[in-house]
Order: sequence, then structure tokens, then C-alpha cells
Amino acid sequence: MSNLIITNLSKTYSNGVQALNNVSLEIRTGMFGLLGPNGAGKSSLMRTIATLQEADGGTITLGDIDVLNQKHEVRQQLGYLPQEFGVYPKVSAEVLLNHLAILKGITRKSYRKEVVKALLDKTNLYEARKKNLGGYSGGMKQRFGIAQALLSDPKLIIVDEPTAGLDPAERNRFYNLLCELGENTVVILSTHIVDDVKELCTNMAIINRGKVLLQGNPLKAIDQLAGKVYRKTIEKSELEAYRKEYTVIADKLLLGKPMIQILSEHDPGDGFRPFEAQLEDVYFSQIFGNTPYHKSA
Amino acid sequence: MWYAIFKFEIQYRAKRLETYIYFIILFLFSIIAVDFFLQGSLNTAKANAPHVIAKTMAIVAAIFMMLSSMIMGVAVLRDFAHRIESILFVKPITKAAYLSGRFLGSFAVLIFIFCALPLGMMLGEFVPWREDADLLAFNSWHYLQPFFLVVLPSLFFGGSVFFVSGALSRKLIVVYTQGIFFVVVYILTLVMSRGLDDQFFASLLDPFCFTTIDGLIQFWTPLERNTNLLPIAGVMLYNRLLWVLIGAVVLVIGYFSFSFNVVKNGLFKKHAKETKNAETRSTDMISVESLPKYDAESRVNVLAKQLMQSTIFYFKSILKETSFWAIVLCAMIIIFVNSINLGTTFGVDSYPRTYLIVEELQELSLIFFFIILVFFSGELIWKERDAKVDLIYDALPTNDFINLAGKFFGLLLTYFVLILGLILSGVLFQTVSGYYQFELDVYFMAFFVGVFPFLMLFSVVSFFFQVISNRKFMGHILVVTFFLFTMMLEAFGYSHGLYKFGGDALATYSDMNGYGHFLTSYSWVKVYWMAFAVMLFLVAVLFSVRGTETRLKTRWAIGKLRLTKPIVNLGLLAFAVFTFSGGYIFYNINVVNDYFSPSSQEAYRVNYEKTLKQYEYMAQPKIVDVMLQAELYPSDRNYEVEGHFILENTHNEAISIIHVQKLIDSQIALKEIQFEGGASMTDEHEDFGYYMYELNKPLLPGDSLKMSFTQTFTTSGFVERGANTQIVNNGTFYNVDHFPTFGYNSKYELRDNDVRDGYGLEPRKTRADINDARELVNARTGGDGYEINFEIVIGTDSSQVALAPGKLQKTWTEQGRSYFHYKSDNPMINFYSIVSADYEVMRDQWHPHDETAKAVDLEIYYHKGHDYNLDRMMNGMKKSFDYFDTHFSPYQYQQMRIMEFPRYAAYAQSFPNTVPYSESLGFIMDIDDDEDVGMPFFITAHELAHQWWGLQVIAANVQGRYMLLESLAQYSALMVMKEEFPAEKVHQILKNEQDRYLLGRANEANREMPLSLVEGSKYIHYGKGALSMYAFQDYVSEDSVNMALRRFISDWNGFGGKLQTDRYATTKDLLGYFSEVTPDSLQYVIEDLFETITLYENETTAVDYEVIAANEFKVELTVDAIKYRRDSLGVESAIQINDWIDIGVYAEGEDGEDELIYLEKHKITDQMTSLEIVVNQKPTKAGIDPLHKLIDRNRKDNIKEFEFL
Repeated sequence: MSNLIITNLSKTYSNGVQALNNVSLEIRTGMFGLLGPNGAGKSSLMRTIATLQEADGGTITLGDIDVLNQKHEVRQQLGYLPQEFGVYPKVSAEVLLNHLAILKGITRKSYRKEVVKALLDKTNLYEARKKNLGGYSGGMKQRFGIAQALLSDPKLIIVDEPTAGLDPAERNRFYNLLCELGENTVVILSTHIVDDVKELCTNMAIINRGKVLLQGNPLKAIDQLAGKVYRKTIEKSELEAYRKEYTVIADKLLLGKPMIQILSEHDPGDGFRPFEAQLEDVYFSQIFGNTPYHKSA
Repeated sequence: MWYAIFKFEIQYRAKRLETYIYFIILFLFSIIAVDFFLQGSLNTAKANAPHVIAKTMAIVAAIFMMLSSMIMGVAVLRDFAHRIESILFVKPITKAAYLSGRFLGSFAVLIFIFCALPLGMMLGEFVPWREDADLLAFNSWHYLQPFFLVVLPSLFFGGSVFFVSGALSRKLIVVYTQGIFFVVVYILTLVMSRGLDDQFFASLLDPFCFTTIDGLIQFWTPLERNTNLLPIAGVMLYNRLLWVLIGAVVLVIGYFSFSFNVVKNGLFKKHAKETKNAETRSTDMISVESLPKYDAESRVNVLAKQLMQSTIFYFKSILKETSFWAIVLCAMIIIFVNSINLGTTFGVDSYPRTYLIVEELQELSLIFFFIILVFFSGELIWKERDAKVDLIYDALPTNDFINLAGKFFGLLLTYFVLILGLILSGVLFQTVSGYYQFELDVYFMAFFVGVFPFLMLFSVVSFFFQVISNRKFMGHILVVTFFLFTMMLEAFGYSHGLYKFGGDALATYSDMNGYGHFLTSYSWVKVYWMAFAVMLFLVAVLFSVRGTETRLKTRWAIGKLRLTKPIVNLGLLAFAVFTFSGGYIFYNINVVNDYFSPSSQEAYRVNYEKTLKQYEYMAQPKIVDVMLQAELYPSDRNYEVEGHFILENTHNEAISIIHVQKLIDSQIALKEIQFEGGASMTDEHEDFGYYMYELNKPLLPGDSLKMSFTQTFTTSGFVERGANTQIVNNGTFYNVDHFPTFGYNSKYELRDNDVRDGYGLEPRKTRADINDARELVNARTGGDGYEINFEIVIGTDSSQVALAPGKLQKTWTEQGRSYFHYKSDNPMINFYSIVSADYEVMRDQWHPHDETAKAVDLEIYYHKGHDYNLDRMMNGMKKSFDYFDTHFSPYQYQQMRIMEFPRYAAYAQSFPNTVPYSESLGFIMDIDDDEDVGMPFFITAHELAHQWWGLQVIAANVQGRYMLLESLAQYSALMVMKEEFPAEKVHQILKNEQDRYLLGRANEANREMPLSLVEGSKYIHYGKGALSMYAFQDYVSEDSVNMALRRFISDWNGFGGKLQTDRYATTKDLLGYFSEVTPDSLQYVIEDLFETITLYENETTAVDYEVIAANEFKVELTVDAIKYRRDSLGVESAIQINDWIDIGVYAEGEDGEDELIYLEKHKITDQMTSLEIVVNQKPTKAGIDPLHKLIDRNRKDNIKEFEFL
């Protein structure tokens, strides 16, 4: 299976926002998680890989394919589920999926019928296949989205924040589906839910402000923080003081009281207790640990 | 709160570029609006006369109502489109504040944009091509008054409707399609007005005021037209108030219906159905993984199937739109609403021949096609993005060309639906009318060959603009602007197929000649533009947005990647076809044939005049004998004529140089000119076809010589437009004008005096002065004609019959061609035509009163199937001959033939014993003998009367000529009508003629002339001619008029008349005979009717009656009569009345209809006159001049009904 290699990818929008700043990534078969806060550049990166956006500089290759210039070849192997999408309200799932299947090149009718049927079944939409998409719930719509992305046996699947708006049960079903695919396909999943990545992905990258902050296996990333995370419950008024003194990577509420987590090479004492590092800590340490503190997440 | 929303709306618009672009487009358009819409119909009105400004503003406001939909329609809709309604509606604002703020805010913006209209028009006064002579002094009130009176109420009404429909439906397309309902409402008002005598309702109900303005100014004199502002009173005021009121009602309804909730319900759409959560997994499923690997089809197959799929998908998506079906339905209905008016001439309908129905359908459906084209092309281009599935679509491995082409073909299929709908309604209409010759081929040809190519071309343009502008509204505006621009080029005469987008429309269809030869040039021009469209389409493909990049520069960068080999090849192919067809068209139009742009044509005429005017009136011989041997080749549209003239010197001096003028037409070649006794060419102006021959031996006075020549007419290649319609495949009709004439011919001179002035030429007289000695000896302009002997042999295709004046001597076939030899038994004027077509014949005879005279053969040559009115025409011929033979003089020939010719022209024309008669004029009229005027009968009688007026009496080519020809023919035909039909029919004709006259004089561009000095205005010699002659015989009796005419013809007959003069007859001569038969007391009538322009303003102000005894009623009425006279300066003023005028009383007749029980002339000497009349029946109405014999601008008030208490 061919790897997706991104080298020095940059993009600045016409309004001056730098969406991608020298991004380099190597993505192999399997689930790849792309973590980052809103506006970090995840969608820009994914759209660029999905041939929907141009880059100012850098290259992307998928095996032998130059993604930025051989758009058609990429699209033939691509399954893409955008972050936000609509549907034609007056068309049924079966009709639209059939339509998209033809556009994906599955022009043999008998085969296409089978594929459409199987995908609707796989995404649990078979019973509702005759129903107009206008009447679909958010979850059903999202599953329809994945069904279309799976048409034509894609080698590269890009799903952009696919679980937004799904209830926990639907989310689980959805991830199970993705996991199956990750066995022999490149699946890129973007999310800002840290646990999702931990549960699903063999590899991941954290990006913020268009830059890749960390790339690697989630468990290994957690290992690197092992024994370095401490937490303490504090008074609200003390927060600023702690921030000045320690590398605060998270502040949240525990039973109504502020609680902070810090990053420290050794036990800081001062009432801090060691805490088992989570992927979330990796994430926050990357986002806030290495950059001037701005705002709580 | 209200103010905040109002302000927000204005600020929002102020920040949008569109607002300013709309303003600028409207502004620029307004500068040329007057020229654009009203050029050619202004006549005496100045380009900035108040009513011209008002009318232009009304039209522009109607057309740009679209802007109104874009500003007002989206004011509320926008919140839904951007999905911020949930945020907005929970804010503490009231519905009233929200709606009124939005409405007033966007209305203010709309008014701002429309301020461009008066501003642009004001600037239009100062553009260089406007000449001061065409303008009144600048007056800003002339612009502001109609802006407030006409434009603002229309905007308010339109804006209200768009605003409310947008707010309630929350769908853009619903807002757009409102426009259709405007059109339907408008056409309905027009239709309603036709049935009614007065236009009050149409004027009241016209939302844009077109009819209202036209109705108001219809009979205004030029002076009034240039000074009066539209009155803010009467129907104008009611109209405006009505539409403002309707707008207000719509707003109120909108307010109460608008739901200030996020979830829309009621009015337009049902609740979304409850989601059924049955998502159980079925058992017999194959999983995706277990499917075999897909084996893709060949690339070509895949692309073809994808194209097919997309096409059908997009086609179906439009079919799902209710608005689409609303458009189709409206278009289908409109033919039924409008058809009352099918081919009306004098209120008579034609049979619903398929081509007439098709033409009506084409004209009426244009707007519907255009709406579909403009709006649905935008919807299709934006379909994915509007539904937000664009990112999914764009990442699919589809070809960019296929994507766009699918949408394009999908759109084309929707045109098919509308076309089939229209054809269906056309066929239904024919069926309902009891007409069953459907001729589906004519329907299909007209729509698929005549309309469809334009739809394709403009759809490509629309796609192009949508893609390039990448803004839906902007795309719409650009398409409409482009369309108007194309029309403007045409309006200014720039119509060459190589640069007028799409080229010309398909030419007129004729039952006789089909589409004739016009298809060739039509097809080539279409091929050329199709190739252009393919290139344009490819550019659109390259620039089409895929993904999130919308900047043109980036799109071009992406577009370059799309330049695949097939795309490049297709582009090159299109370019090759474009170049080749363009070259071929240019070769045909400009090289093989002569192409004249409007300016080069003017220059040519100017040169002709400047070079050759010196030879005008130089003594030239007259033709006295014509012998022609004509070979027609209808299928090639060629002819060859060998002929000779005998020329006689009728002057007192010898003629040594003969000036031969060939008809200026590049298709005609004149060769082998030879003069008896020899001659040599001394000078030639090949450009003008003007050759001078010096005779070896001068032609002495009274002597004659023979001139022989060969003339050919050759059709090669094709021309842009104005292709000859005379020499055609079936229905050739050309006349003496084709043959050589002698000396300078003033018919080539430029006519428009303004244009002449620009070239430094003297103003041209329309007609020579009645005393102009040089023209008194001419019968026609460039008159080299004289009384001639005529003989012709015509050869034509064996399927056709060829006809010319004269008695048929012999007919034979030779080498598969038919030959006809005609010879005139007696001399005739130098005026003949040659006709050839595939004819059916109807024959009959008419026997003169003089038992010793030979019977006259009557023949009608008609196109197979056009036999509806042959009996009426035949009867018309017989009755006319009866009347004219009895009252004027004997008929001079032994035969009379009517020949049908194709409807490229719509007239009938009288030549010696032959009358070519247009296909569109009478042959297919559907005449109801009870209700309609028998127009074929009347026209036949009129043309036959010319056998006397024109062919016996020859009128001199001076002022008044057409009174002798046309007014007398009108009179003669009316008298035949009067004998044959009830009086109502005659009055119906007279009423039409009176309208023709009043409308004609209101639009007279120059000075109106009295009838006896008419210079060539049809409204005078036909319209007023009929009225005045009818009134004259009413005063002095029909017998007296006929006696005068009998004496006139006996003296002035060009063939053996008693008076042998050296000049032709004039109206002065005729009026002399009239005077002789008129009693002294009525001599003033001749002055009023013929020598001056005299009008009346007659009104009955009060009527009453009392019962004197059983069957005895005393009617008292008061009449107000004013007599106007127009002086030589064109000023109308009241003069002393001392006239005999009809007074009439009506009662209820046996059949319940009004019956005239009293009609007598009373001498009216004062403006206000009270009269008492005793009648023997209970009167219902009474009044002055009830039959409208006198010319009166306001006829409605002549009669008054009795009020019963």
C-alpha cells in the first residue's frame, strides 16, 4: 500500500491567515488521527489532500501520484467526508448514492446495485434507503456521508470531524466502521476529541496554527509524558500565580473547584500529586506547553 | 429597535459591491434607454418630451423589476439562507420592527439604485449623438414627475410582492418566478382591453402604465406631445393608487402570515415527516468486502454513462421544482388567453394555420424560455454549493467537462419539456377552434430549428457568466445585460451574422414557400456560433470552481491542469469550425454578394445623388412597347430575360444620349444593350449601374427606336438578411421595377432629412408640388413609363404556372419546362408583374351590362388548401365589375386574375388585369359572415377599382396623386360593400379608417397635408380618404359623386379619354368635377373634406324626451359642436361652424338591439344648439353625428342615453 507523504506544505489565505506552515507528514496504511483545536489548519490540510484546495508551496505524494497536480488520479482513489455537508432534500439515499457511484466510475449497473445495497446495509441505512434525505437525522446523514466515501473501494479515506453531532452510540458504530477500513487503507481522521484518537489511531499528528507540533504513535507520545504530569486543586484567585510558576497545560473544574494540571520533569511538591498521563495531556502540552499561554481550552 | 434593523439593512447593502454595480448598470442603460426602446417610434415627439421620458421610465422600471426581486426578495430570505434565523429570532425584536425595518431598509436601497434611472436619462440628453433639434430645453421636472408618478409606485408594488413572497416562501426561486406572474397580469390587461371599446380597464390594470400612457397620449397632437406632462388625474391617478394599494395589501397579508419562528410551517410546505427509526439490519446482505473487485469499463463508456447520468439527474432536479411547472403552465395557458388576436386585420381572425400559431407561440413564450434560461442555469451551476454537497462532489473522480456538460444538457432537456408543452397547447388550441390540420413538422421545425439553437447559445453564455462571475445574481445581471446588448446592436442596424451573437432568427414561414432558401444562411451562421459557444463553454470548464478556491488567478492555475488532450483537441476543432464557417459566411455575404453596413448604404445613396443628380429631368425617350422573353429558374432563384423596348422621343428636341439605369441590385446584370441604328457607350458609372449611350443618329422628336437587352438575375451563395423574397422557389413575384429605366432615378435618394442634412444635402420633398410641370408629365417616380403595348413569353419550371398581364395566347412545354405567352389586347400603362408558382385555379366569368361586350374571364390562382375565401373574392370581383361598369366606365380588358404570393409582403397590388395578392391577406381569414367585415371581398373590390383609378385614369406624380389612386379606390370599394352588405359592416370599416387616420396624424413626423395634397401618408389617402369620400357622397348623394367620377374618367382616361393633354390628372381636376355636382349650399364640404384639415369636437350634452301621445315622443337634445381647422403652420384653432350635421335618435329594435329610427342632417350654426325632434317610437339614445361621418377625436360622447327615473 502506498504511503501519503506531505512535504513542506504551506498555504496562506488571501486574508493573510496562514493555514499551513511548512507541514510535513508521512502517513501509512491505518488510521491516522489529526488533532488540533478549531482553526488549527486540519480542514485546510485535509482539503488540500482531497484536491479541493491549492497549496502555495510544498508537495504531496500518494505513492507515485503527485497529489497537487494529478488531481484526477487522486480522486479515483479517494473517499472524502467533509466536515460539514448537505444533501439534496428531495432525493432518496439510494438514488443519490447510485448517482454518486456512477460519478465515481461504477458504471456497470448490476455491480453498482450490489455496491449501493451493501454500503447502505453497512451503514445501517438500508431500511431508510427510499426515504428522502431531507428527512434524515444528523446521524443518518453522517452515515450516508461515510457510505458515499466508501464507494469504489478507496485507497485513501479522509474524514473531517465525522462525529460532530453524533450521539455516543452512533459515534461508536461509526468508529467501528472506520477501524475495519483502517486495516488496509490510509484513513485520515481529524478531530478535536483527544480520546477518539487514542482509541482508534495507530499514528497521529497534532497541529496548531498550521504547524505540526507532534507526530507519532499516541501511546508512545503518552509514554514520553509518563511521570511528568501533576495536578492540584486550587482557589480561583491563585490561578494566575500558578501559571507564572509552572507549565500549566490544563485547568478545569473538579466538583466546582478549579483544578490545574502541570508538566514537570520532577515532582514539584507544593501539594501537587502525580497523575497518569493521558493523550489529552500530550495534546495540551503541545498546544499550550510550548507556546505562550493564551486562553484556557 | 426598528431603526437599528433599518440601519443594519442599509449598511449591509452599502457594503455590498452589487449595490453599486446595479446602480451603474441601470445608470449606463438609462443613458441610451430612449434610443433603445423608442427609436423609430418617436416621430414628431422630441427625445426628452415628458411622455417619452415617462414611457421609457415605465419600460425600464418593468425590465429592471428583476433588481427589485434581488434587493427586496432576499431581505428576509437572507437570514434563512445564512441560517442565522435561530439566532436572530430569539433576540428581543418584534415582528413588526423586524419586518418593517427590513422592508423600509431595502426599499430605501432600491430607491437609491433606481435614482440611476432619472440621472442616467438626464445625462442621456447630453450624449453626442443627440442633436439639439431632437430635444426640448432641459427640464429636470420632466424627469422627476414621471419618476414619482410612474416609477415609485411600480417599485413599491413590485417590491412589496417580492418582499412578502421571499419572506413567506423562504425560497429564492419563488421570488424569481414572480416575474412571470407580472408578465401574465400584464398580458391579461392587454387582452381585456381588446374586447372593450375604450381602454379604461386596460389602462387601469396595467401595473407598469404602458397602456395607460399610450391611451392618454394616443390622439395628442405633436404640440401637445412635446409640452404636456402626464396628468396626475383620471385613469393615471387611479392606476397608480390601485397598485400602491395592492402593494400595501400584500404587505399587510405578509405581515400577518409571516411566522416569526425558525421552523416554517403552513403556507408553502408541510412539516417534515417524522423520522422512522427502523434501521434493522437485513439478513440476506452481501457485505462490501465480499464483493468481487470492480472491473472498470472503458474510459469512453464511463464518461458517456456519467454524462448521461448527470444530464438526467439535473434534468429531473429541475422537474422537481414547482416553479418550473408554474412557468410551463403559464406559457401553455398564454396562447389561449392571447389567441383572440390571431392575425387580426380589421378585427377579423385568420384560420389558426399552424405557422400563425407557431409564430404567436414563439413570440409569447420568449420570456418564459428566457426566465428558465437565466434562472435555472444559475441554479444548476450553484446546485451543489447551495445544497452544500459541493465538497463531496468536487472530490469525485469526475471529469470537469462532463460535470458542466451534464448540467448544460440537463437544462436543454427542460427546454424540450416547455417546447412540447407549447406544441401541445398549440394543437389543443387548433382543435378547440375546430381546425385539424396540425402540421407537426411545422411546429417541430419552428421550435427545434428556429428557437432551440438560440436557447443553446444563450445557455452557454449564461453558464459562462455564472462560472466566471461566480456570483449567482451577478451572473443573472450579466446575461440580461448581454441579451439587451445583442438586441441593441440589432436596433442600431449592426446585424451581420459574424458579430451579432447567434445571428438572425429563422425567416418567415410561408405555406407557399416553406422556409425557402433562408435555411442555408441560417444554418451556417448557427454552425459558426455553435463553434464559438463550444469554445466559450470550454473556457467555462477551465474556470469552473471545484473545491474552495474562487479567486480567478487560482482558478486559472487549476484550469491549466484541466487542459487535457481531449479538451485541447475539442477546443482546436471548435476553433477550426469557427474559423472555417466564419470564413465561408464572410465569403458568401461580403465577397460573393455585396454587404452594406447601414453607414456604407447611406454613403452610397449620397454618392449616387451627388454624382448623378445633374441628369435629373434631362430629356429621355419614353417606353411605348415592351416585348420580353423571360426564363425563370425558380429552384435556382435565377432568371434570364431577353427583351426589347420601343423608345419614343416625346420631347420637342432631339435626343442623342440615352441614360440607362439598371436596377441597383448586385444580383442583376444588364448586358448586350443595343440600340437600333447603333450607339456607343460614352460614360458609365458601374457602381450605380448607370450607363450613357450616344446614339449614332440622334432620335428626333416623334421618332422611335428599338432598344434590346439581356438581363439576368443570379443568386449565388447567401446573404445576411434582406435576401430577395421576390425570386423564390415557389411564389416568384417581381415587377417592372426590375427592368432598365432611363435617366436619374430619385428613388435612390436618402429620404430622412436629418440624415441628409448630415451629408450636406438639401431637404428632399416627399412628393413634387401639385403645379410642378416636370412631374405633371410623369405617372411614377422616375417615370419612363407611358402607355405601352405589352407582350411576354415566360418559361418556368414545369410544376409552376407563370402569369403576367395580357391575354394568354399560347402555352406549351419544351425541354421539361412550361411556357406561357401573354399579350395585352389593348395598350396599358407601363406597369406589369411576373408571377410564377405551383397553383390551383378557380375560374368563372363576368358578363358586362353591354350585351355586345365579351364576357370577362375571372381566375384566382391560389396555393393548394387556401380555398377558404375564394368564393368571397370571386363574388367581390363580380360585384365590383357590376358597380364600376355601371357607374364609372366599361372594363378595358377581357380577363382578371388574382394570384396568391408568399407572405413576405402583406399587400395586394393591382397591375393591368392582374392582382398579385398576399398569402397573409385574406386567403386564410376565418370570416364569420354575421360578425366580421368581409375583408377579402373589400380588398378585392379595392384592387379591382384600381383597374379604373390608376390603370384608366393616370395620376400625375405630384401632391394628391394617392388621392386619385387610393382614396377613389377606397370609395369605390365602400360603395360595392354598401350594396352587398348591411350598413353596419360599412361603418365598421369606416371606424377602423377613422382610427387609422387619427393615430396616423398623431404620429406624423412631418407636416400633415390635406387630402387633396397628400404626399404619400397612408393614414391620409387610405384612412381619411375613405372617410372623406364617404362623407362626401353622404352629403351630395352617391349618384352625384358617381356622375362626377364618370365625367372625370371620360375626360381623363389615359387610353382614349376626351381630353388630350400633355400631362396627367391631378386632384385639382377631380375637385372641379366634384364641385360641378355639389349644390352651392354644400360647396363648403369640398373645402372641409378635401382641401383643408378640418376636425370636429361634437358632443351631446343633454337629452330628454316627453311623451306627447301614444307613439309620439318629443326628443329634446342639446349638442355642443366645435369645428377645428389646422392652418398651414400646423396650428389648430376653432372656426365658425355653419354645417349640416347628422342628428340621430335610437330606439330598441325588434331583436333587442339599438335601431336608428331618426337620422337627418340639421344645420348647426352655433356651438351650443338645442333641438327638438318628434319620433314615433320610445327613444333610447340620441345624439349628434351618431354614425361618425365627421372626424372627431372623442367619439364616445356623441350619443347620450336617456336617463330613466
